[in-house]
Amino acid sequence: MVALLAVPLVLSPGLVNAAIQMLIAALFASAFNLLCGQAGMLSFGHAAYFGVGAFATVHAMNALGGAGLLPTPILPLAGAVGGLGIGLIAGWFATKRTGTYFAMITLAIAELLHALAPHLKGLFGGEAGVSAMRMPALGLTFGSTTQVYYLTLLWVLASVVLLYLYTLTPMGRLTLGLRENGHRLRFLGYDTHKVSVLVFAISGMFSGVAGGLQVINNEAANYVLFDPGLSAAVVLNTYIGGVKAFLGPALGASLMTFFGYAISDVTQSWLLYQGVLFVLVMMFMPAGLAGLLGAARALRDRHGTGALLPVLVLAAAAALLLTAGTAFVVEMLQRIFSQDYRALAGANAAAPWPPVKLLGRSWPPATLTTWLAPASAVAFGAALAWLARRRLHALERRRERDASGAESTTTAEVAGGAV
Amino acid sequence: METIVVGLLNGAIYGLLLFMVSAGLTLIFGMMGVLNFAHASFYMLGAYFAYALQGTLGFGGAIVASTLLVGVVGVGVERFFLRRVHHHGHAHELLLTFGLSFIIAELIKLFFGNFPVNYRVPKSLEFAAFTIGNANYPFYRVLMGGVAIAMFVAIYLLLTRTRVGIVVRSAIYKPRMAEALGHNVPLVFMGVFGVGAALAGLAGAVAGAFYTTNPNMAIELGVMVFVVVVVGGLGSLGGAMLASLLIGIITSLAVGVDATLADLLAHVGGRQWAESIGGLFTLKVSSLAATLPFALMLLILLLRPSGLLGEKP
Amino acid sequence: MSAAILTLRDLRKSFGSTEIIRGVNLELQPDERHAFIGPNGAGKSTVFHLISGNLSPTAGEIVFDGRRIDGKSPQSINRLGVSRSFQITNIFPKLSVFENLRLAVMRPRGLQYCFWHRIDRDAVVREQTERLLEQVRLQARADTIAGELAYSEQRSLEIAMTLASDPKVVLLDEPMAGMSNEETAYTADLIREVTRGRALMLVEHDMEVVFSISDRISVLVYGEVIATGTPEQIRNNASVKEAYLGEEIA
Repeated sequence: MVALLAVPLVLSPGLVNAAIQMLIAALFASAFNLLCGQAGMLSFGHAAYFGVGAFATVHAMNALGGAGLLPTPILPLAGAVGGLGIGLIAGWFATKRTGTYFAMITLAIAELLHALAPHLKGLFGGEAGVSAMRMPALGLTFGSTTQVYYLTLLWVLASVVLLYLYTLTPMGRLTLGLRENGHRLRFLGYDTHKVSVLVFAISGMFSGVAGGLQVINNEAANYVLFDPGLSAAVVLNTYIGGVKAFLGPALGASLMTFFGYAISDVTQSWLLYQGVLFVLVMMFMPAGLAGLLGAARALRDRHGTGALLPVLVLAAAAALLLTAGTAFVVEMLQRIFSQDYRALAGANAAAPWPPVKLLGRSWPPATLTTWLAPASAVAFGAALAWLARRRLHALERRRERDASGAESTTTAEVAGGAV
Repeated sequence: METIVVGLLNGAIYGLLLFMVSAGLTLIFGMMGVLNFAHASFYMLGAYFAYALQGTLGFGGAIVASTLLVGVVGVGVERFFLRRVHHHGHAHELLLTFGLSFIIAELIKLFFGNFPVNYRVPKSLEFAAFTIGNANYPFYRVLMGGVAIAMFVAIYLLLTRTRVGIVVRSAIYKPRMAEALGHNVPLVFMGVFGVGAALAGLAGAVAGAFYTTNPNMAIELGVMVFVVVVVGGLGSLGGAMLASLLIGIITSLAVGVDATLADLLAHVGGRQWAESIGGLFTLKVSSLAATLPFALMLLILLLRPSGLLGEKP
Repeated sequence: MSAAILTLRDLRKSFGSTEIIRGVNLELQPDERHAFIGPNGAGKSTVFHLISGNLSPTAGEIVFDGRRIDGKSPQSINRLGVSRSFQITNIFPKLSVFENLRLAVMRPRGLQYCFWHRIDRDAVVREQTERLLEQVRLQARADTIAGELAYSEQRSLEIAMTLASDPKVVLLDEPMAGMSNEETAYTADLIREVTRGRALMLVEHDMEVVFSISDRISVLVYGEVIATGTPEQIRNNASVKEAYLGEEIA
């Protein structure tokens, strides 16, 4: 918490901006998870509610000749109203079906908005979008990134707290019931369609707040906000973080946003890495990163930090090596297949495979040694992973032996005492 | 008049193309309960493989090879990815295929670049099939329609007239019973998945030359395919055909219509009022052509949630 | 003859061209315990589906407390006062037993759209939930995840959830399935106790239970009621013996 408050004091404006993006993504993912992880309704078009919230806010900022419908600090309320409204309408349609159908309908609604928006220039500003300016309020100019950061932090914290409190209310528990067995709820007298629409709308409302915060930060909104890429991103972030834990999606979203910010200068394949991570999580770690943390904590409670530390170090090293090896291959391929490289290669018939610059060194693609580096990294990483597993199994076996040893000791005591 | 006929033909052929992709999707869903998000990615892969192989195998050869390759990819996806998460449930499978579609799109951008590629109809096939009034109707369009119809007939006959077809249908309807009778149901699943993928790949290989081939193909077509299966009813081949044709024709005809809602209201004297409001009322139908399928989908959801030919959920 | 609380009049249900329920007539009194027996596939669960709104009848009427309820949605029917349990356990598997029951208790207290106060501060809901738990002997398992309960404990949870809305008509679909003799005996007593003053329709295969609990029994064969009467009457009914019970009971 203190760390969050101290951010603008210690980090450069560029990083503070990144922190703002991380907060917004975290809120969006938490709002999304209300529908997805808690109510069990998988939405593939959630960008629609983010986007409508954004446009509602930008119009509110421009209203009354630029003075703004609301003072800047409470502008995200416009986003909330926009998200709530579109959430109610879209939710009414979408929740008429469940499961896979529901997912497809949400996708189509988002695409409908995406296709319609460029034509409604009055509302969505066409190709250029709509821009606005932050107006001063409460004695603050809101001109600096720092002030925007604190405003964003305030709203995100308040929203996440509200979302958490929601899970403690009757409707919050009912939301879980929707996920577990919506069919049964009807036979307990609940109008599941109405409840679903309300949950959808609440999720849309908080998504709209996130969209509003984005607009306040960027001072612009564009129909690109309805792009399927944004809907895909929130799905990936949420599951990578973990849908079971309340703060899991926020964790995933912040991490992914941070990496996207930090790495996208270095590589063009950031989205590929994110996709691979997502598929790996879905296949091997369905509980996401939050689940991984929880499992680590449980292991530490079982075995003690001392015994566990070598395992963790091995696992971390393995992960690092495997990632490094894979990333190397991907980056090499990316450069080899790029237009620049092919032009270079085509120009000189004598040297069809010129060396590729990576990490400050030149790697000729045609030589074996170039590929030996990632291959050995992957092999070594796999070996370390195998070692880590063996270590863990050894720890488990030792625990079992100690436990049964303690039992036989106890039985002996009892037997000895009884005699 | 000619424009209407041309529009109808174009729409029907686009609809047949949609059907080629949605047929596989609806069959796989009916059989495994899994909606394969990556199905449209198979379509895209078909186009890109054909483009890549065109140089070495010629146009026709590339199409055949590409279809087979995509079928292999489909089998691989089922065997190594889907089967592993099957026990987690349908939502999980859906998400996995979503992730795979994402990865496939990124890999294509990696290898081929984030822009359209020059996959074109070969000159030898660029002639007119027949003329309608003053317009020449391109042969290649007819070819695309012909491939789709041939595929539909082949599948229909395969499913209803052959032993393999009976086994597949029983595996779709009651997989455990079919397994108990000694049929290798996992193999059937893998096979149907592969065939469905191959069909999508064939559609891509054929259509990619005519329409554009770019990394966004999958998303653009994918959403349309989903609309088709919602409108037609998931699991219903007939519904998919009907919905595909409907959507294809509506979209195609709408592109030629320049009227607006304001024009419609002019009949009751409301033109000025509508034009003063602007926005939706002054939008031409032709600009909205891309959004009409979505409107149709929402309408179906209101009036007939199980789809045109689907069973009641 | 007091007015029947639930009446089935010439109830019919077809799936495609196959008629599953072929004209069922029944009158259930407000405090009657009525059992439905019959061979497998006779349509007993289907009748429950029709009454509870899971299916709509193809023809015929279902009248509850003076109102037609055929074709209404399950939630409306439940709110009017008809509650059912399921043959295949239909609970919330990843929530605790307490939560399962609490969800059932919340609705009659009108809390379905309440998102402004915490549920665990609601003393009335907690008491009602705990009381129901005690009635079905699950209070020790209150914090267990419902999916991890033993099968018979899940059946008890089903019954508790069905009763949470204080219904006038209770439909229990094979509540004793999978229970030991001791559990069956306890549950039979439980059912007798909690359905005092209510109407009960029971589908069960355990004949001892059926004959000891019921005031009246209807025998359903191929979608038709071939006999209705007191347990004695049914025991001695020739066509019932022939169709279902066999010679042993005589």
